[in-house]
Amino acid sequence: MNHVTSDASARQRVTVMQGQVKVSAHPDMLLTTVLGSCVAACLFDPEAGVGGMNHFLLSEPVSGRGTTADEHYGVYLMELLINEMLSQGAFKRRMKAHLYGGANLHAGMQRIGTVNGAFAREFLAREGIPLTHSDLGGTHARRVDFLPEIGRARSRHVHDARAIELTPVNRPVRATGDVELF
Amino acid sequence: MSHPTKILTVDDSASMRALLLHALQAQGFEVVQAEDGIEALEWLAANDADIVITDINMPRLDGFGLIERLRSIARHRDRPILVLTTESSDEKKARARQAGATGWIVKPFDPEKLATAVRRVAH
Repeated sequence: MNHVTSDASARQRVTVMQGQVKVSAHPDMLLTTVLGSCVAACLFDPEAGVGGMNHFLLSEPVSGRGTTADEHYGVYLMELLINEMLSQGAFKRRMKAHLYGGANLHAGMQRIGTVNGAFAREFLAREGIPLTHSDLGGTHARRVDFLPEIGRARSRHVHDARAIELTPVNRPVRATGDVELF
Repeated sequence: MSHPTKILTVDDSASMRALLLHALQAQGFEVVQAEDGIEALEWLAANDADIVITDINMPRLDGFGLIERLRSIARHRDRPILVLTTESSDEKKARARQAGATGWIVKPFDPEKLATAVRRVAH
């Protein structure tokens, strides 16, 4: 489901919900999201003029399992973003990244925001994608606006907790790892 | 004593290679890794794998190209090749099947389901 509105400058605003990936090369497109402990990665290829955003939440690692299903989910959402950018003309070696979110909103709860931010940083380092700007951690929710065609982002603190509730935290309903033998 | 099944995984993402290495080694498989189709072909020219697991979207030579090239080489004609991809379109799946893939697995992968599929197609 797309949440699309137009602002005063006739720019098309598309909200990127948890579990979603949006990519555009359109100069009038603005991708926006609200983040609590979730993280949004904004990738941009300056030469192709293509950018995109994802929005993910990894839960706590399952102890004693080594890698976790959640790491699979994070890698999956990063790969979806990268692949969609490739399909619109971007090259991975030219991509640059911003990271936003990863706040720990409630004292005394598990530091899930920190886990999300650390995963995203490690992913970019492993893939060799430079992190050119980040606004991670802290205790406040953020609203992030991203212009994908020029790769410019703005991150603001949100003090109205109700804004967070607009962002569903359900995983997309889909089977994982389905196997079909031909 | 039988040797462990040797799997060549082909994926341009270092993160995905790390997940696959961990998941498959934990299931007792021997794992070799390549970053794209060209590197996989170069390795397979001098070595053998029991099974190939390949991504689709890769630079230089993608998964479709890799499968087509392998199927044109006599000793890889019957090699089990599983596609592991974020792609979900029927058109891409049909293309993989036409190229000669043995199976299609959708990411994010489940380690148990992946291991079961590997055992089923292993000769």
